[in-house]
Amino acid sequence: MNGLALLLGRVRAFVARDFQLAVSYRLDFFMRMLSILFVVTTLFFISQIFTGQFEARFTQWRDPLAAWITGLAVLNYFMTGFSSLATAIRSEQSQGTLESVLMTPIGVPTLIIASSAWDFVLVTFHSFLYLFFGWLFFGVTYQGSFLLAFMFLILTTLVLASLGIMSASFAMVFKRGDPFALILGTGSAFFSGVFFPTQLLSEVAGSAVANISRLIPTTHGLDGIRRVLIQGQGFAEVREPMMTLLLFLSILLPLSLWVFGRAVRRAKREGSLIQY
Amino acid sequence: MLVQSPASIVEPVDASAPLEVSFDDGRTSAATPPAIDISVVSKTYPVPLARLKQFFRLRAKDPVEALRDVTLSVRRGEVFGLIGRNGAGKTTLTKIIATLVQPTFGAVSVNGYDTVRDEASVRGQIGLASAEERSFYWRLTIVQNLTFFARLYGLNARAARARIAELLAQFDLKPLALRRFGELSTGNKQRMAVARALLNSPPVLLLDEPTRSLDPLAASSMRALIGSLAESDPPVTVLLTSHNLAEIEELCARVAVISQGRIRALDTPSNLRALHKHQEHVHLTVRGITAVTARRLLAPEIEGIEVIPRDNTLDITLIREPIDDLLDKCVRTLIGGGAHIVSCHAERATLLDVLEGYEREPNNAGDTKR
Repeated sequence: MNGLALLLGRVRAFVARDFQLAVSYRLDFFMRMLSILFVVTTLFFISQIFTGQFEARFTQWRDPLAAWITGLAVLNYFMTGFSSLATAIRSEQSQGTLESVLMTPIGVPTLIIASSAWDFVLVTFHSFLYLFFGWLFFGVTYQGSFLLAFMFLILTTLVLASLGIMSASFAMVFKRGDPFALILGTGSAFFSGVFFPTQLLSEVAGSAVANISRLIPTTHGLDGIRRVLIQGQGFAEVREPMMTLLLFLSILLPLSLWVFGRAVRRAKREGSLIQY
Repeated sequence: MLVQSPASIVEPVDASAPLEVSFDDGRTSAATPPAIDISVVSKTYPVPLARLKQFFRLRAKDPVEALRDVTLSVRRGEVFGLIGRNGAGKTTLTKIIATLVQPTFGAVSVNGYDTVRDEASVRGQIGLASAEERSFYWRLTIVQNLTFFARLYGLNARAARARIAELLAQFDLKPLALRRFGELSTGNKQRMAVARALLNSPPVLLLDEPTRSLDPLAASSMRALIGSLAESDPPVTVLLTSHNLAEIEELCARVAVISQGRIRALDTPSNLRALHKHQEHVHLTVRGITAVTARRLLAPEIEGIEVIPRDNTLDITLIREPIDDLLDKCVRTLIGGGAHIVSCHAERATLLDVLEGYEREPNNAGDTKR
C-alpha cells in the first residue's frame, strides 16, 4: 500500500469512527440542524429593522441578512479549523484513548489531519445549511465565483488550523488555559466583522483596535468571501486579502508543526500523554 | 522448541551478556539478537514547568525517579516476565518500550529499531495490551473499535475484516461482536485489549496483567494462548507483567524482579526460587502414633521439628535442605515406630517469596532519590 493510500485509509478510519460516534447521539444531530434554522430565522427578523437604512460605504452590508449568515457560516468553518484538533486531543486524552491511538504506527501529521477530518465534514454541512436556509426561506441570493469563495475558505481554514495545531500543543502539555482559544475563540466574531463592518472599529474605537482586527486571519478570510459572494468581485480585486492569508500560512504552518512535534515529545518525557 | 540454559543473574545484573541456547536435538548456538534490548535505561519524571516555578520561587515537588540503570534483553520467541510491586517501575518500562514515554538516559531497541529515533517502526513491531479499560471507544461496538485500530495499523478493509473475524473467534467474542464496548463485562474488555494488541500480528507483544479480570477458565485459555504465541511460526516475543506470580512461573522462561526502579534479579523462575530460599518446609500427616512418642523418636534425630496433634492424626513439620536425607530419616523413624504416613507436602519457595525477599532487602543504590 503506498503512502497516500495508507494516509487516506487512516483518515477514512477516523471519519468512520467519528461518524459512528455521532450517530450514536442521533438527537443531537437533528437538534443542531434545528438550531441553525432558528438562528437564521432570528437574523432575518432582526434584519427587517434595518431594511433600507444601511450607508452606501458599507457595500457588503446592503443586505444585512446575507452578511450575517455568510459571516456565521464562515466563522463556524474557521473556528472548526482552529479548534478541532485541540478538541480532538482533549477528547482522546479525557477518554483515555490517545495512548492507544499513538501506539499505532501513525505519524503526527496524519494524526493532525485525520483527527480533524470528521469535524470538517460536519461543519461543511452546517455552513451549507446557513446559506441554504437563507436562500430557501428568506430569498438571500449569492453572486460571484463559488470556486474563488471556496479557495478563500480553504486558505483561511488552513491558517486557522495552523493556529489550532498550536492550540492543541498547549492542550497536550498544559491541558487547559490555552491563550490561542482566548484570543481567537472569543475575539474572532468581534474583531473580524461577523456582525458589523470592521470600518466601524476604527471610527468608533480608534486605529489601535482596528489594527488588532487586521492581525486576525478571519478578518481577511471573511472580507474576501463577502467580496466574492456579496459584491461579486473577481480574482484581481481580491488579491490583497488572498496574499495576506498566504503570508500568514507560510509562517504559521511550519511553525505549528514544529511546535506540535515538540509538544508530543515533551508529553512523552513527562509521561503526561494521557493526563487531562 | 528452544530450551534456554539457566543463566543465573543476581545483582549485579548483566542481562545483556550473550547466552548460549541449547536445542532439543542437542545443538547449541549463540543466542539470536534480542527482540527487546534495554541498555542502561533511567527515567526520571521531570517536574512540569520546573524553571518557571523556580523563577517565581513556587514550591515544586521533587522529580520522580522511576527507573535506574535498567539493562536487560528479551530473546526472540521468549515469554519474559516482569514482576514487582505497584510503583516499582514496570509500567514505565513497558511504556518506554512502547514509545509512549521517552527514557531520560539509555536506549531501548525493539528488533533493532530505536524507540526514540525509529518510533513508527517500533510501533509497527509491537502490540500493547494494558489493563486500562478506557483505551477503547465505549459507544462503539467491538467490531467498530477493532476496525478503527486495524485501519490505523495499515490493514486494508478486507484484511481488517478477515483478521478481526479470526481474533473474535480466537477470543470467544464472536457472539458479542455487535455489542458496544461499554456494555461488555470487565473480562471481555480485557480480552478485547489482547485481541487489539494482536491485530497487526506483531512480533513483540507487551502484556500488562492480561488475565487480571478473567474467570478461571478464561484465564487458563488466555495463558494457553500466550504460551502458544511463543511457539508459533514466526515466534512472538512476549513481555508479561503481572501480579499473578503463579502465572508468571507457568509461562515465563525468565523473570526479572524490579524494585524501586532497579532490576534486582533476573533468571529462570526455578533458579530465582533456589537462589532465594535454600530451605523448604515439609509437612507430614501421620496416624497410629501419639504426639509424645513421635517427639521422643524424632527429637534426638531432627532439630527444630514440630509435632501438633489433630483429631486422629499428627501434623509434623520439619525444615530441610532440598537434597539432604532428613525427610528419609524422619519417615523411616516414624514407620519404625508404628506410624502410618497419611500425606506428605513440601512447601516450595514461590516467586512471592522471592519478591518479598528483594523488597525486604535495602536497595543498594544509596543515592536513590525515592
